[in-house]
Amino acid sequence: MSNGRLTRRQFLKGTALVAGTTILPTGLVRAQRRPTTWHGRERVTEIPSTCEMCFWRCGIIGEVKDGRLVKIKGNPLHPNNRGKICARGNAGLKTLYDPDRLKYPLMRVGKRGEAKWRRVSWNEALDYMVDKLKDIKSKYGPEAIAMFPHGVSSRLLKSVFASWGVVNFAVASFNHCKGPRDVAFKLTFGTSPGSPERLDLPNASMIVLIGSHLGENIHTGQVREFAEAIGRGAKIVVVDPRFSTAASKAHWWLPIRPGSDTALILAWINVLIEKDLYDKEFVNRYTYGFEELKKAIKPFTPEWAEKVTDIPASTIREIAVEMGIRKPSVLVHPGRHTVWYGNDVQRSRAIAILVALLGSWGKPGGYFLPTPLKKSKCPCPKQEKPSKDVCEASGKHIYPFHEEGVPSQCVVDATLTGKPYPIKAWITYGTNIIQSIPQPERTIKAIEKLDLLVAIDILPTDPSLYADVILPEATYLERYDLPFVVSNWTDPYVAIRQPVVKPLFQSKGPFWIAKEVSKRLGLKNCLPCNSEEEMIDKILEPLNISLGDLTNKGVMSFPGRPYDTSNLRFRTPTGKIELYSTKLAAKGFSPIPVFEPVDEPPKGYFRLIYGRSPVHSFTRTVNNEWLDEIYPENRVWLNEKAAEKMGIKDGDEVYLVNQDGVKEGPVKVFVTPGIRDDCVFIVHGFGQKNPMMRRAYNKGISDSFLMTKIKPDPITGTTGMRVNFVKIEKNGKLLEYTPEGYEERLKEMKAAHVTPTIKIQKPANVQPEQPQPQEEEEEEGC
Amino acid sequence: MTKYAMVINVEKCVGCHACELACKAEWGVAENEHRTWVKPTYPQSLGGKGLFDLVAAFYVGQCNHCDHPTCVEACPTGATFKREDGIVVVDYDLCIGCGYCVEACPYGARYVHPTLKKVDKCDFCAPRLEKGLEPACVETCITGAKVFGDLEDPTSEVYKLVYEEGARGITSEEVNIGPNVYYIGDEKKVDLIINKFPPRKPKLPTPASIWEKLLKPLLGLGVVASFLGASVAYFIQLFKGEDKFE
Ligand code: SF4
Ligand code: SF4
Ligand code: SF4
Repeated sequence: MSNGRLTRRQFLKGTALVAGTTILPTGLVRAQRRPTTWHGRERVTEIPSTCEMCFWRCGIIGEVKDGRLVKIKGNPLHPNNRGKICARGNAGLKTLYDPDRLKYPLMRVGKRGEAKWRRVSWNEALDYMVDKLKDIKSKYGPEAIAMFPHGVSSRLLKSVFASWGVVNFAVASFNHCKGPRDVAFKLTFGTSPGSPERLDLPNASMIVLIGSHLGENIHTGQVREFAEAIGRGAKIVVVDPRFSTAASKAHWWLPIRPGSDTALILAWINVLIEKDLYDKEFVNRYTYGFEELKKAIKPFTPEWAEKVTDIPASTIREIAVEMGIRKPSVLVHPGRHTVWYGNDVQRSRAIAILVALLGSWGKPGGYFLPTPLKKSKCPCPKQEKPSKDVCEASGKHIYPFHEEGVPSQCVVDATLTGKPYPIKAWITYGTNIIQSIPQPERTIKAIEKLDLLVAIDILPTDPSLYADVILPEATYLERYDLPFVVSNWTDPYVAIRQPVVKPLFQSKGPFWIAKEVSKRLGLKNCLPCNSEEEMIDKILEPLNISLGDLTNKGVMSFPGRPYDTSNLRFRTPTGKIELYSTKLAAKGFSPIPVFEPVDEPPKGYFRLIYGRSPVHSFTRTVNNEWLDEIYPENRVWLNEKAAEKMGIKDGDEVYLVNQDGVKEGPVKVFVTPGIRDDCVFIVHGFGQKNPMMRRAYNKGISDSFLMTKIKPDPITGTTGMRVNFVKIEKNGKLLEYTPEGYEERLKEMKAAHVTPTIKIQKPANVQPEQPQPQEEEEEEGC
Repeated sequence: MTKYAMVINVEKCVGCHACELACKAEWGVAENEHRTWVKPTYPQSLGGKGLFDLVAAFYVGQCNHCDHPTCVEACPTGATFKREDGIVVVDYDLCIGCGYCVEACPYGARYVHPTLKKVDKCDFCAPRLEKGLEPACVETCITGAKVFGDLEDPTSEVYKLVYEEGARGITSEEVNIGPNVYYIGDEKKVDLIINKFPPRKPKLPTPASIWEKLLKPLLGLGVVASFLGASVAYFIQLFKGEDKFE
């Protein structure tokens, strides 16, 4: 840890004293003189912090003039984004100054959904909320309370409720985003790919994106490095039914048949093994179950995969060979939003196996290794014996590999049915549960049954429309948060979020909210820090740094050991990389991934796929003036051949009608050659239903409302969402389109089904499962 | 001598619009207006085999700080001029917001600011350059697609990209006024951008229309006649080349 920056710290401490500035109770924070820069032609103060326009947490610097934020730029010292920020990061000040922000605590006076409110004091709102919660707890027990936390700021209140006995936390980032891939990598390597993902993109000579539309999906550090690799001429493979931005940069774009990705990956594995192109040394030394894999993979030839995926066998082979030649600097991206078809763990497992065969774990250009940084806590100790969460109690929804809270569907189900026990109160924190949980009509019905819905947010997103109590949180530009201690980077770092301006209106930071609630709940020893500054100091103590060291720089990085494999260990039952997963076998799942065909669209329907725009983070940003100006509404991508047959022109207004008759629209059509003719694509996050979001209200359509069907993954319970189908309605007429050779394809798909040759049983030579140290996972966004 | 130029690497650019918004924040660009903009070409078929033969790129546009700027020619007050370092700027004290330059620019790089009533456009962040800062768009560009520098300096990145690697400006057979924003990458992509967003023919004002617009606001503002006198010689010289590009 003896890098140059510690000297700087001493230097700063020194100068603060030399300058003779008054040391305020908050220590060095206010004592340091802020650096300045030029904004346009004016001198402005620079205050570093951390962005939250998405969860990626780039380092930013706020340029402040007379207490007003005039610009946000990237923090050049930050090792992740290195002075760069995306459009959303740049537009952050329009969220801070959004006239539609939640300004005061509000309590409902009208009916749910009527949007009639009374402005109340924080005291009144919190008293009401806590009284109601106590009431519910005494009548039904703590399990009748569910929380939907999102983002770092929700962690404090979450810990308060956990301490009070609440068990039902529905974590969106696991259920609706990255659960399958994290579990798959843990089963294989004993650890997830991390967040940020530990991808050594700059050194990769080949990058394979499977369904990941990096570039439209912007996580600045990752896109910066992706572009760096492109600039250096890395070979890019993009597997996507749509010609994404990433596809436009690719050497190979594989417009795969939706749902058949696992087949493609298995065929690649097949070629690597059959042609002896895998990393033998690595496989021999570190993996378990290669012989079983070799046997099981035999039937999955490129010729077999061609029928399933629509990708020529020769192309599949060519790419596999290229991977084999370029290994280990071949980066197969694990994806992030991986809840597609409900068979997602097995697909992600296939990716993880491919990574292992290429030997790219811990190698430059592959998956680098974390450099753990220590941190401590300002805890809220559990004071009650937790009861059973809603999944455990129901006994039927048991997903053996579910992590991080409970699946949100279980909470919705229990609230609707009262089984296994009634749920009477929901608290949403920084998340739009109407849009992020599929089947919103059920979510809304469940809300109607609640005794209490509390929405904590910065903007009146959909849940607040139904809330009894609305609490305005300070935006990321007005508050402290828990510090970010990031081990998952080649140079690990510690960064802070601190107020760039004072909180506007009556919004409050998460520490204050959590403290006030804990006081009212009568919790002792909960969050034993007097201020957020003290809390940050305490957490950073083991690193021997304090908040004062970071107030003017925002971030401190440390030398990493990204390729240090000398101590490589895998926290799996066999202590090896499990090509054959003993844990899956023990629970009766296929220990080696197999391809399960997904339901094809019924005749006349398109599969509904969705994704992102580079300028939006779903519903969080649609009300932002600048981002709205750039991308005000989503459009439906429709294949040009299909459009012509159906008589639809670019820009036509249509409705989408799903398999259950749910209709969303009107929405404009984008006619393009850049998508297959068996699916349509829209950007997620539009179709806001709350009129209090004046800019975004009713613009574009909501894909969530069209997702009346979901398919939980049997392994994790995560929510497969790409299982919905739509028809297009124009001028009141429901149009139909069926791709050429539709019937044939159905047949081929059936024929392609391969019964696994592998027997599902726990191998004898495996040690009984050791209790493994749990990695600390922090819930993130998607 | 210095000649500033910008090169955009179309292989790296992902069309994220960060550049556009950093510029907006830096210079208070009006709502729905741009000093720099990003437009997708959208996937285009190259006429080959269906899905496998597509191309797409993003057009990142801004003032080209042209060698022969038609905007300068059109400006009746001399507010728009080209500096020695190649940057074409608007002097707000002289700009009367007549908008002739807006019409005269083949790239649509200018707009009349609705509240200031002055013409605004990219100036390569000239005031930032003076303070030793990069242009705001370059500073934020998340992919490093935007490269800024001095074309007269053989050690500069832009020199290399333009003179050695063949970065191209957006010109057509009819309109070539020496743009200094260049595009590099796969030739198919650069061609696509140039063909999809070609320069339009500049519209230059006729003498009569100039006097009409010029006199009204000037009288209204009570600007002294001596300024008019000084301008006349300048206009005469301007009008000669009026139809050069038509
Ligand atoms: S990627 Fe963009 S929105 Fe996300 S944290 Fe970075 S700058 Fe902010
Ligand atoms: S791009 Fe337009 S505004 Fe810029 S110098 Fe050329 S003509 Fe003038
Ligand atoms: S910031 Fe860079 S990558 Fe983004 S649109 Fe502008 S030039 Fe392209």
